[in-house]
Amino acid sequence: MNVIECKDLEKLYFRKRVLNNLSFSIEENKITGLIGRNGAGKTTLLKIIAGYIKETNGDINVFSERPFNSLNVSVNSIFVDDHMSFPPALQLGEILEEAGRFYPNWNAKLAKRLFDYFRFDEKGYHNRLSKGKTSTFNMIIGLASRCPLTIFDEPTTGMDEAVRKDFYRALLKDYIAYPRTIIISSHHVNEIEDLLEDVLLIHDGKKLLHLPIGELKEWAIAIKGDSETVVKFIEGKEVLYKNEVGVNTMYVVVKQDSPGSLKEKAHLAGVEVVSVPSSDLFVYLTTDAKGGIDDVFKNN
Amino acid sequence: MNYYILHYNSNALYQKGARAILNTNSTKPIYVQIAEWIESEILNNHFQANQKVYSQYQLAEMYTINPATAAKGLNLLVDENILFKKRGLGMFVTDEAKEIILNKRKNQTLKRLVQELVLEAKRLQMNKQELIEMIQEANDEEVGP
Repeated sequence: MNVIECKDLEKLYFRKRVLNNLSFSIEENKITGLIGRNGAGKTTLLKIIAGYIKETNGDINVFSERPFNSLNVSVNSIFVDDHMSFPPALQLGEILEEAGRFYPNWNAKLAKRLFDYFRFDEKGYHNRLSKGKTSTFNMIIGLASRCPLTIFDEPTTGMDEAVRKDFYRALLKDYIAYPRTIIISSHHVNEIEDLLEDVLLIHDGKKLLHLPIGELKEWAIAIKGDSETVVKFIEGKEVLYKNEVGVNTMYVVVKQDSPGSLKEKAHLAGVEVVSVPSSDLFVYLTTDAKGGIDDVFKNN
Repeated sequence: MNYYILHYNSNALYQKGARAILNTNSTKPIYVQIAEWIESEILNNHFQANQKVYSQYQLAEMYTINPATAAKGLNLLVDENILFKKRGLGMFVTDEAKEIILNKRKNQTLKRLVQELVLEAKRLQMNKQELIEMIQEANDEEVGP
């Protein structure tokens, strides 16, 4: 069953087109990573899914209905980011208690345990927390609510390394215990990729890729070798990134048409095959200038 | 509070141990690495024929990976007849598992290694005789004549 279905979705902020003909669907009980550069439209998309803002054109269905103004969507989903607002008069302990009345699947025991583990003070106030602590607290609400659709928008903003690791593990453990549909947007692709089942990559409001994470590693490969051999080898293939190292060595990332097809051939041609880290691949796919930042400095 | 600190530390160690086996930077997808790890466990006799192996959820927790990824690794082994499914009970090691793995590693992994060896020798402008002598020498040292 698809929890989210979206077809030709468009969003305009004044004259700027933020989402452009976006069509995709997300199945129930999968963890999907939403990846994109700054300003790609990630947050806008997630807010439309959560029903916070209206779409301009196209269809969006969450639990088979339009999310904007839908009570059904709002009771079954939670949108976690670092701007979540809670009543400023309530203490943290009271917020946890009240949250339990909002979310039907709320797990008070889990909330309390995480709360103590991360050393929160029940008598503290949300607006007096540090940046990292705010994210941590919001994450606790997000996990303990156990909403059928849980959306994390840049959940790790400000969290230190240890807390981020704890968060990923907590997320996975609770997901195994209580499967639900989860969308995470993040800049730290290499940190979250192992957790994901699917990846959705958007760029300039358009969908670039939507595929299972396992296929991503096979989607493109990098080859390294002396320039002449490499140039001959990549003939007719889709080049995503090209870099010359030293005098006569070339590093090229090419798209692989079918899994494993190029690896064998490259071995025989005598060029080295190296893996492309997913985070690098996303950067190559979303950079318009093929030489990267170096192009900016070239003509001066 | 002490309990939590202890718990945290043991978790960190556990993850470190698991990380040593999975290599995120490898060209191999994670599910292939999971499958290969289980194969090694079978070769090391940690799992015998007809014994139950880890479930996708146990693997997911051990390595902090998505359960679907773990399942893909297990299914890879089912396709190769190394594991078999018992409905509602889990995955078990087949009688032929060890033999299949050994054969596969010989015919695929070792063959590829030899191929690389030959290519590297060619790049170093070694002739066939030199290469064969070198292999013989290494074999005498490691295994005995």
